Amino acid sequence: MRALGYFTLRDLFHDGWRSLLTVISLAVVVVSFLLLAALSQAYLSFGNQTQASTNLMIIDANALDPMESYLPESILQAAAQIAPTQILATFPSLFRHLDIQGHILQIRAVPLDDMQNRLSLTLLQGSWPAGAQQMVVTDGLIQVTSWKIGTIANIYGKDFQVTGIVRSSGSQFASVWMTYAEGLSLFGSANGFQIGYVQLTPSADPDKVRAILQSDPRINAHAAVYLETSLADRYNQVNQNLLNLSLVQAVISLLAITFGTYNAIRLSLTERGHEILLLHILGFTQAKLRLFLFTRSLFLTLAAYLVGWGIAWAFITYQGLHAPISIQAAPLILSLPASSSLLGLLLSISFAFLGVWLTTGSLSRRDLSALQD
Amino acid sequence: MSKIENTGSIEASGLEKVYLRGSEKVVALSSIDLRVKAGEFVVITGHSGSGKSTLLHILGGIDRPTKGELSVNQIDLTGISEAALTRFRRDNIGFIFQFYNLLPSLNALDNVIMPFLAKGFSWKAARERGAVLLEQVGLSHRQKHTPGELSGGEQQRVAIARAMAIEPCVILADEPTGDLDTASANSIVSLMENLNQRLGITFIIATHNLHLVELASSSYELLDGRFTQASEK
Repeated sequence: MRALGYFTLRDLFHDGWRSLLTVISLAVVVVSFLLLAALSQAYLSFGNQTQASTNLMIIDANALDPMESYLPESILQAAAQIAPTQILATFPSLFRHLDIQGHILQIRAVPLDDMQNRLSLTLLQGSWPAGAQQMVVTDGLIQVTSWKIGTIANIYGKDFQVTGIVRSSGSQFASVWMTYAEGLSLFGSANGFQIGYVQLTPSADPDKVRAILQSDPRINAHAAVYLETSLADRYNQVNQNLLNLSLVQAVISLLAITFGTYNAIRLSLTERGHEILLLHILGFTQAKLRLFLFTRSLFLTLAAYLVGWGIAWAFITYQGLHAPISIQAAPLILSLPASSSLLGLLLSISFAFLGVWLTTGSLSRRDLSALQD
Repeated sequence: MSKIENTGSIEASGLEKVYLRGSEKVVALSSIDLRVKAGEFVVITGHSGSGKSTLLHILGGIDRPTKGELSVNQIDLTGISEAALTRFRRDNIGFIFQFYNLLPSLNALDNVIMPFLAKGFSWKAARERGAVLLEQVGLSHRQKHTPGELSGGEQQRVAIARAMAIEPCVILADEPTGDLDTASANSIVSLMENLNQRLGITFIIATHNLHLVELASSSYELLDGRFTQASEK
């Protein structure tokens, strides 16, 4: 073993530039794999966000985006009358997508009592917006901005202060929540509100109540009723595409690490064909040659993996801090999970081994007298 | 290293080597019969392309004949497996090449101990023996130098020390002085002659060097893959 380690290191250091180039080419493959795997993982997480709410939502039937929905107060009163024993409460919500300080954010405004008690919002830090020009923000927003409690942001010409951080049980959108009164003071009441929320009694069946409301002409003349969860799905139709894309990304990343490692190691060994041949002539059996060359390739692969992992980690950390990615106000969080890192390492080593195996295997089919060439 | 007794004989009969160059058959060796006694100093001459290297490669188990029978040190090489051929080379044959074929990343001592490691010697034992061998070829002071830091003559001495490492019964040398100046060539010739006489190692040398021909116990001339002339002293 001592001889093996000694000759391997000596060989690698003597071959400095070639070793370095091999490490760099392998590291590029490793970085590609880890970034693709991280992106794929982020898409999967994005698509898998679920919502536990049993609320119903009423939206303008012709609106593709909730922002284009305009509903009158009368529609909430009608809903309460249609199924009075199954509905606990109804309340309006203003909804906008706005570019605030370079970030596309959702602005939501609901009555404070409903915000605290009827929506699936959990206060993580700080306090609910109690006074004028106050707001809470989701932890999803914190991930894509540098905002914190106390931050003041200008929305539609008015300064709002962040008083708390909340988490919703559904998709982790980057959202700002303010009171309905504050929302009306910003956007006005001329166009009504965008989303009507219907809170059901615990014993009510959301599907049945939805069907009842949807079949009533007072509702279906203007609006459509959705489960809050299915609206999230409708709103996030992009999720399915992202999920498909994540699968493609995962396959590409696996191919990158597989063929990239194999090619880099095979190329490195092919360049050393003359020396491998000489060792074979001197009496090194294929098994001994394979052990030596595999050790050499293992050193290169581990060095490259370490470098590649470091670069990928630095990139993801930098990106998370300075250039976060979000899709429709929902942050796409890149990370380097241990499972991807370990899978990449195992694949790299396996395919380095395969490269060695095939290269030394071809020795028996080579003309050893080629050494004189 | 003690004198090797009665090993290193070579018997070849009807050796033929045919290469395929595209669809064309090239006869590299034809009807080669050779009998070398243990401890002989044999020289093979011939023009470039006459088949000298091919013959040495076949005798050393680097290449296989297309036809014919061959035994070296009473080991029948006809039809033996690749693994057995590797072991045969490792245990019986030392090789010296025109261009030395030293591993450029290793120093002189490391190059010499490679055959020991191939044979499974311990690290310590291999280095001790390697140092002795370098001393025998007059290079104990150059142990730590890499091939790039050695002259042609010194590199060939390292190659000879490496060839002697496993105490071979046969050393096959292909143009061992072909890349050297006259003084270095003479020094290498003296070293090989000394090893042959002192240790009884059989030498088969392919060369153009007339000095080696004069020293040979028998010599053969190859022309177009056939022996045209043989002389014994």
